[in-house]
Amino acid sequence: MGSMIKVNDVSMKFNLGIEKNFSLKLFFINLFKHKKKESKADKDFWALKNISFTVEPGEVVGFVGSNGAGKSTLLKVVSGVMKPTKGNVEINGNICPMIELGAGFDMDLTAHENIYLNGSILGYSRAFIDEKFEEIVKFSELQEFLEVPVRNFSSGMVARLAFSIATQVDPEILIVDEILSVGDLNFQQKSEAKMRSMISGGTTVLYVSHSIESIKCLCDKVIWIERGQMIMSGETEKVCEAYYQSQVSKL
Amino acid sequence: MQTYRNIFVNLKRYSFLLEQLISRDFKVKYKRSVLGVLWSLLNPILMMCVMAIVFTNVFRFSTPGVNYLTYLLTGLTYFNYFSEASNLSMSSVVANFSLINKIYIPKYIFPLSKCLFVGINFLLTLIPLYAVIILTGTGLNMYHLVLPFSFLFLFMFTLGISLILSTIAVFLRDMFYIYGIVIQILTYMTPIMYDINMLDSRLQILLKLNPLYHIVTFARTIILYHEMPSIRAFIICAGSGIVSLLIGMLVFKKNQDKFIYYV
Repeated sequence: MGSMIKVNDVSMKFNLGIEKNFSLKLFFINLFKHKKKESKADKDFWALKNISFTVEPGEVVGFVGSNGAGKSTLLKVVSGVMKPTKGNVEINGNICPMIELGAGFDMDLTAHENIYLNGSILGYSRAFIDEKFEEIVKFSELQEFLEVPVRNFSSGMVARLAFSIATQVDPEILIVDEILSVGDLNFQQKSEAKMRSMISGGTTVLYVSHSIESIKCLCDKVIWIERGQMIMSGETEKVCEAYYQSQVSKL
Repeated sequence: MQTYRNIFVNLKRYSFLLEQLISRDFKVKYKRSVLGVLWSLLNPILMMCVMAIVFTNVFRFSTPGVNYLTYLLTGLTYFNYFSEASNLSMSSVVANFSLINKIYIPKYIFPLSKCLFVGINFLLTLIPLYAVIILTGTGLNMYHLVLPFSFLFLFMFTLGISLILSTIAVFLRDMFYIYGIVIQILTYMTPIMYDINMLDSRLQILLKLNPLYHIVTFARTIILYHEMPSIRAFIICAGSGIVSLLIGMLVFKKNQDKFIYYV
């Protein structure tokens, strides 16, 4: 069996000027200003530059780096939400991206209906949701509110429901982008335990977090990204230590 | 060939999602109204009444030889499908950016689900249409069996246009305003409330460039004139459906990877 994920020399370019070119007002202003046109390359922003790595089945890979380093963009490229500008990504297995929860909820529908809607968005089949329905409701602790429109839920309740739906799968590849702090203290502990059992259950995991502690105790391998470039990759202890030192020296 | 096979594999894989999106639209549309789904039946009837009163009494429109109410409602039913489906589809991709940005879903599923959702509504509006056909004495005939072809042509044409519109709307949000005007123009350019023979011949040629005219006429030939549509009518309607759908798919497919930059 080959690698689970193979990221080959991936680069991702964003054009920061996109917003500006689109307004007629600005077009006229620039017309009268006779301003020298900024060259297009100035506005190009490389969110990722020549990133390559492979992930073997069952590996838990952590990603560290400061805000805006390109971690989330990288996960989006891996999960297929974005196509890379250069390079390519090979995936062998089904992916469950838990990047941000509850994006697929319709506030006018009841919790019951939203379980089916959100489940279908995550790619579950009807039979699968039928089977897991009880478990989802039980885990979210929302039994009494099943027939209530989600718009009347508190944000914590929405997050609990979303987490419960998203963690029902047995994906071969799990993508986790900082979602552990969901709900009240009781639910936080419960969800963290659930995440840990999913991660330790032999799935391949890509894990992004700013908490070095949780990276250290969960990951087999860590990749450090800064300004879209891979600074270091390898053993968890070593990379975490180097990353920690660089953060401290910045202070 | 590979990509076309992929489309069908994906359609099968995402059929449950499609079903859920359509049923979501239904629930949201009717949930908070007292009459609920009855509005789908009442709405075209009420619109027909208003227009019939205005156009027969104020403008003295008439359609020689055939019942004006049936004439009007046939046109309305078909045109409303097009305008509602294309309008909803246009905003469907933009409205679901929060999803597209987070999880991989084939993006064509949003305009497709809107066209199907309005399509189910369209089938419901056939109930008042047939009620009017029978009550006004227009009567039925065996050619009605061919009528579903016009549904198919209308659906294909609308889906094609919807795919193009939803693509443009991503890059150019002004499209929402522009299309409001375009629909207004189309309402008058499609002979819904008047007979095309009332116009002078040059204007008629212009109006006949509109595929919706041909699809509506296809239906009217059967419903009002009790005749089989000509082979030529078949070819024109099927042709505009297929061409629109192919162009729509091509435009959408070519641009869908760029959507994410315009979130």
